[in-house]
Amino acid sequence: MSVPTSVGSASQSVAFSCRGVGKQFGSITALRSVDLEVPRGTLLGLLGPNGAGKTTLIRILLGITSASQGSVRVLGATVPYREVLPRIGYMPQNLAVYTDLRVRQNLGVFGRLYGLSSESLSSRSRDVLELVHLSDRAGSRVSELSGGMQRRVSLAVALLTNPDLLLLDEPTVGVDPELRAEFWSYFHRLASEGKTIVMTTHYMEEATQCDRVAMLHAGELIAYDVPSVLKGRTHTSTMDDAFLALVRGRSGGGAS
Amino acid sequence: MSLARVLAVTRKSLGQISGDRRTFAFVLVVPLVLILVFGYGFGGQPTHVAVAVSNSDVGPDGARLLAALPSGVLDLTNASSAASAYNSVHDGNAWAAIVIGPNFSRDLVAGNATITAYLDGSSPTTASAVLSAIQSSIQKTFAGPTGKTPLVIAPEYVYGSATTSFIDTLAPGVMAIVVTFATTILAILVLVREKSQGLIERLLATPLRPWEFVMGHGLSLAVVAAAQSTVVLVASIVIFQASFVGSIGLAFGILVLYALGNIGLGLLISAVAQSEFQAVQLIPFIIFPQLLFTGALFPLDSIPVSFRPVSEFLPLTYAADALRSILLRGWSIGSIGWDLLALILYAGLTLGGAAALVRRQA
Repeated sequence: MSVPTSVGSASQSVAFSCRGVGKQFGSITALRSVDLEVPRGTLLGLLGPNGAGKTTLIRILLGITSASQGSVRVLGATVPYREVLPRIGYMPQNLAVYTDLRVRQNLGVFGRLYGLSSESLSSRSRDVLELVHLSDRAGSRVSELSGGMQRRVSLAVALLTNPDLLLLDEPTVGVDPELRAEFWSYFHRLASEGKTIVMTTHYMEEATQCDRVAMLHAGELIAYDVPSVLKGRTHTSTMDDAFLALVRGRSGGGAS
Repeated sequence: MSLARVLAVTRKSLGQISGDRRTFAFVLVVPLVLILVFGYGFGGQPTHVAVAVSNSDVGPDGARLLAALPSGVLDLTNASSAASAYNSVHDGNAWAAIVIGPNFSRDLVAGNATITAYLDGSSPTTASAVLSAIQSSIQKTFAGPTGKTPLVIAPEYVYGSATTSFIDTLAPGVMAIVVTFATTILAILVLVREKSQGLIERLLATPLRPWEFVMGHGLSLAVVAAAQSTVVLVASIVIFQASFVGSIGLAFGILVLYALGNIGLGLLISAVAQSEFQAVQLIPFIIFPQLLFTGALFPLDSIPVSFRPVSEFLPLTYAADALRSILLRGWSIGSIGWDLLALILYAGLTLGGAAALVRRQA
């Protein structure tokens, strides 16, 4: 509702922050007292096994789900913040594009919902389709594309408004290695331009390419740091082992 | 509320409908097929209608009257008495019974003759065919130089009530049913489909509001309903030569308004349903009570008294009543205020409820 206002220079440099964020679905606790502050220009990996609360956290950042406890600020605005939604790109875990419509029509639907003018819609469409290597398939129905191509359409929609914050839920699933490498270099470039990217993955190793990783386990934030630091602190050589060591450390009661 | 966003959803949905050839055909062909089925099923001129006759006239005129009845239309069976003629209608063996009393010839001379026609009003078209056959026979046999006939037909309804043709009582109700059949079903499926593909959640991550989402879908389906209303009105007039005395434009408006309410109901169901399968199962529960308890197809008087209050809660009652008043009585918008209010309320409540439920989806 309220127009996002920035308070001081500190909030200018923060992409989003969570203060004591919890979420219950009935008797199930999806998130428990999460505190997290992510500076702009960060490429953040949100890690954790299935059901750890990654998607719930993303949905809370988007305002689709409201937090049961705590407060969330995104791009200087407190939720609900419909006005900043065009500045947030979102690629959900499921496809969430109209498979019976053509690629270009999908970009049209979302572009108009985000309030893009027809000129910027067509120029942005061209840019994002080029980026995801689908320029020659703009006229194809999404249902006619391969699974990986369909994921790329979903990513193209997320990138359409040239957003300041990108929330990507498992963006690399079903994308072949060559293109995945290209995505990563693009994500790094966006981050260097000051864009903030949050991507969930349950492939821990992929996350070593992130600036920082936030590890979720059973709804709790068990670590938030630079990947190499996490590995060093746990004396492990892989992110998988680092995660396991952190989980074991907690359940053993002897947390660091 | 942003019109641009509403229209974005509308445009998207119309693109989906017109892009899918089968759905597109479904949308236009189904109402045409249904109006033809209903039209020919109810509106054709009946032939070989079973009619029992009891002629106890001591003079010759009773027999003259019966002899002049058009034979292709009526199949006459002699009954032993007036009571047995009546019973053949009562028991469903004849659509009508013609009873001519013993003094018919004498009364005819005196100018006060009466014949009784017992009619099965459950088929208005048949009943009116019988009556017009008798009428034409009387005209042929007894009309004087002025064209006036010295006798009266006393129609008595064994079943049903006032005599009517297809176009007279059924067309308005049938139109309302036909027009909303496809739109309601499409509405029932549309949200479920978007929900199952994660699209509702995705759309709510854009500035789109639940109200705008529901209104966008409502508008796109209203366009479908408008196309169907046109098909049905034109078919009624061109194919069935319906003689509508009222405003076609107003009737069109009522059809679309009623469709909007049904779209809202469909979206409401769609928002509650967890799967397309679930949603589809609810369709008969919406369709059949409306067919049976609203006076759209069968006269309300033919429903048991205890069921009659049900009709007041079924929107089709108001839609059919409004359409009948407009098309057949020539009433203007001012005279159908209550119907209009009921239909606006219906559309408002269902669309509002759907919007509220979509919000809860997320």
